[in-house]
Amino acid sequence: MSFLELSGLSKRFGPLTVVDDVSLSVERGHVVCLLGPSGCGKTTTLRLIAGFTTPDAGEIRIDGKVISSKGSSVPPELRQMSMIFQSYALWPHMTVRENVAYGLQLRKLPKEKIVSLVDDILTTTQLAPLAERYPGELSGGQQQRVSLARALVVEPQTLLLDEPLSNLDSNLREEMRFEIRRLHDAYRYTTIYVTHDQSEAMTTADVIVIMNKGHIEQVGSPEDIYERPASEFVARFMGGANILAGQVLDERTVDCGGLKLKCANAGHAAGSSVSVSIRQHTIAVTTQRPTDEMNWAAGTVVRSVYLGAHRDYLIELASGERIRAVTSTSNPVENGQAVWAHLPPEFCRILTR
Amino acid sequence: MSTASDFRIPVRRGSIDWSKPVFMALVAFLAVLVLLPLSWLVYFAVTDQAGKVTFANFVAMATDPTLRRPFILAIGMSLSVGALSCIIATPLAWFVARTDMPGRSFVRIFVTASFVTPPFLGAIAWEILAAPNSGILNVVYRSLFDLEPYDHIVDIYTLPGLVFAISCYTFPYVFTLVSNALDRVPSDLEEASAIQGASLYTTLRRVTIPLVLPAMLAGSLIAILQALTMFGSPAILALPAGFHVITTKIWSLFQYPAKPNLAAAISMPLLMFTILLLWTQRSILGRRGYTTLGAKSGVPRLTELGHWRWAAWAFTALVLLLTVVLPYLALIQTALTRTVAEPLSLASFTLDHVRFVFFEFSATSLAMRNTFLLGLMTATVGTGLALVTAYIVSRNVVKGGWMLGYLATIPVAIPGIVLGVGLFLAYSNSILPLYGTIWILLIAFLTIEMPAAYQQLSSAFRSVHVELEEASRILGATRMETLRTITAPILRSNVIATWCFVFIGTIRELSAMILLTTADTKLVSVIIYDLNESGDLGAISVLGLMLLAISFVIITIANRLPLFGGPKLTSLRG
Repeated sequence: MSFLELSGLSKRFGPLTVVDDVSLSVERGHVVCLLGPSGCGKTTTLRLIAGFTTPDAGEIRIDGKVISSKGSSVPPELRQMSMIFQSYALWPHMTVRENVAYGLQLRKLPKEKIVSLVDDILTTTQLAPLAERYPGELSGGQQQRVSLARALVVEPQTLLLDEPLSNLDSNLREEMRFEIRRLHDAYRYTTIYVTHDQSEAMTTADVIVIMNKGHIEQVGSPEDIYERPASEFVARFMGGANILAGQVLDERTVDCGGLKLKCANAGHAAGSSVSVSIRQHTIAVTTQRPTDEMNWAAGTVVRSVYLGAHRDYLIELASGERIRAVTSTSNPVENGQAVWAHLPPEFCRILTR
Repeated sequence: MSTASDFRIPVRRGSIDWSKPVFMALVAFLAVLVLLPLSWLVYFAVTDQAGKVTFANFVAMATDPTLRRPFILAIGMSLSVGALSCIIATPLAWFVARTDMPGRSFVRIFVTASFVTPPFLGAIAWEILAAPNSGILNVVYRSLFDLEPYDHIVDIYTLPGLVFAISCYTFPYVFTLVSNALDRVPSDLEEASAIQGASLYTTLRRVTIPLVLPAMLAGSLIAILQALTMFGSPAILALPAGFHVITTKIWSLFQYPAKPNLAAAISMPLLMFTILLLWTQRSILGRRGYTTLGAKSGVPRLTELGHWRWAAWAFTALVLLLTVVLPYLALIQTALTRTVAEPLSLASFTLDHVRFVFFEFSATSLAMRNTFLLGLMTATVGTGLALVTAYIVSRNVVKGGWMLGYLATIPVAIPGIVLGVGLFLAYSNSILPLYGTIWILLIAFLTIEMPAAYQQLSSAFRSVHVELEEASRILGATRMETLRTITAPILRSNVIATWCFVFIGTIRELSAMILLTTADTKLVSVIIYDLNESGDLGAISVLGLMLLAISFVIITIANRLPLFGGPKLTSLRG
């Protein structure tokens, strides 16, 4: 039995179904990322787990016990969870120390115990010198760490994070990603992490859940999701891929407007309409006419951008479709020149449209 | 690695969720507060003295000229007040918000002073200034030109006089709305017009004025509404002039022999007018999204008036002289001299009136005690109720919470005198015999102040991110603990500001109270009205200045508070 289970979870706001029949199992101690574009239902799912809203259908179980179901829900304060909010939600009228101590005071711990626990967590999060400041006097990164300390000091079973890094600048964001992972590895609470940023999800998660329009598109390890997207939506959302529409010829071959591609995966019936995704950086570009036709696309370079580490080509194919290829900087090709792009079979994936 | 069983930190156990019972209790209380007087009003309107269903009251209203005339006069008076307020306030607002007129920053202080003045006090001040015989202006005029005793240049006891005296205290509504709108008109819109070759006048006419037109209309509608529902000023100025408006007519129907059924029936159209006006005003302000457009467009451009700035200054000075300076001086002089016409000097100076009010006149100390007791109770209970109501509505605590918001807002559409009639009918019977106690006054004050208090606090709640409360919940606090330890402290200054405004609103209220007070439950505002009947202007001035001084002190305190949302002076009513 998994630690946290969502089954058939749905939530509607008026006519809008925001979370649509979501089922998911989370193992104890894992970091699970809910990843998707804005409006995909990831934040609502998180708020359902926290108990801030009640589902319209389905249930949430922890350790097998139902904590949320239609019409009845354990209030958030009894769920042994902590949460880090997008806005950090630090209380402006309390100092850093008071913010962090709040949860412990509610649990009626003895004073000395509170002081020592707060001191410990402030040291771990490198906030000890700022203990007597008010949130308004802290930088974004410091506020973020206070919010982390406040959530962790009560030793939650489950930590929920709602886009915790979206308000930080990019340097700090990178640093905090590893910080969040490090603290998680030290305390081993179960973590549910909501974000719309693919790279944030890749660096922190054990399991990534891609959501779209209220339902789950794919669940898998970061590698699974990136290398083996299950749908066109996932491939597009994770970025860096060209998507070509076509018809299945036989098991592993797809005809994309005259361009025949041999692909790495099978499982679609001949004649069915599918998409083929191929990562931009796996495509090779040459001005030499190849001997083979399979997986070679003829086209013209319409834009070429030099980016220092690599070159980014936009190639218009004979069919009129355009693909992007990211290659090494050697052997530059001029705009307007005829080229052949090689789409290696091992990187072409057939996807349901 | 820790597991669920060996946590060092104890786990919280469940406690009772009070939100449902609190919600039900509030709904019941507000429903009784608001709906009970309204139902009694309707019941009385469609029955006769014996309690039989009849439409005779409405027939009388349509056929009896002594009932029809007050309607026509009141509507004419209100529309004139709306127009005059708009004519006074719009240029003033433009001068202050958008030109380089000298002394701009003082104007807002004076306008606030006019706002704070209870209109009935203003009417009395104008009585002192412009009564045909004893009015100071007329006395001065006669002595300047050596005229006969009955010659006068101004007579406040006329319909135009009444319109003027009311407009002095309603123009701030238009001023506030228009100057706020002007502050929000981005100057690049005007510059865009200028760059196309438009002159200053053309830009003003084609761009600026259309942009603030909704604010002008909405402000004028509030002025009309205030004039229509006002009791004090018409009672003071129209009755000596020999005519009635709706509010004074309703009041007169409660004089011997009382005709409560007819009074209830007359209240109905007044209630309808109020609802209609408020609805129109909201749809004007709500629909025109562009009045709030481009709030971040930098500092508004100031128009250089050149030589005209002195004309603008003269206009402004005249307005402020008439609406604030002269009435205040009149009150101060009357308070400190033996007779009204005497100029204030060392010889005529006296503290007789002060002594009379505070030590000799037995009714005052009782009235002051009642007023302040009720002020404290209303402010405290009302703010508390409004806080919980605003919390339940803005945080969706229970299904159907929005109903509370409506219940708390309904009284804004009930004119004070109509509420007075409703409450009198509801609580003077044997089922709930509260008439004659201060409890009926408390109920009246709570009803009157609820909409403004609720509005202020619910906009305050909107400024507090809901995540601040959720962060507390998820860490183990119940709803009530969160409200107590997080929300209330964050909103502290808003709560104090609301408390202050409710208190001020309470001590200056007259319209609803005039029908509800008895000899044992007199209030300062009602005493002022009574003293006016007996012509004791010196005592009135002392009491009035005291009310004003207290109001100013409290407003200053409230304005000094660092506010998130900022209090709105529009929450005061006459």
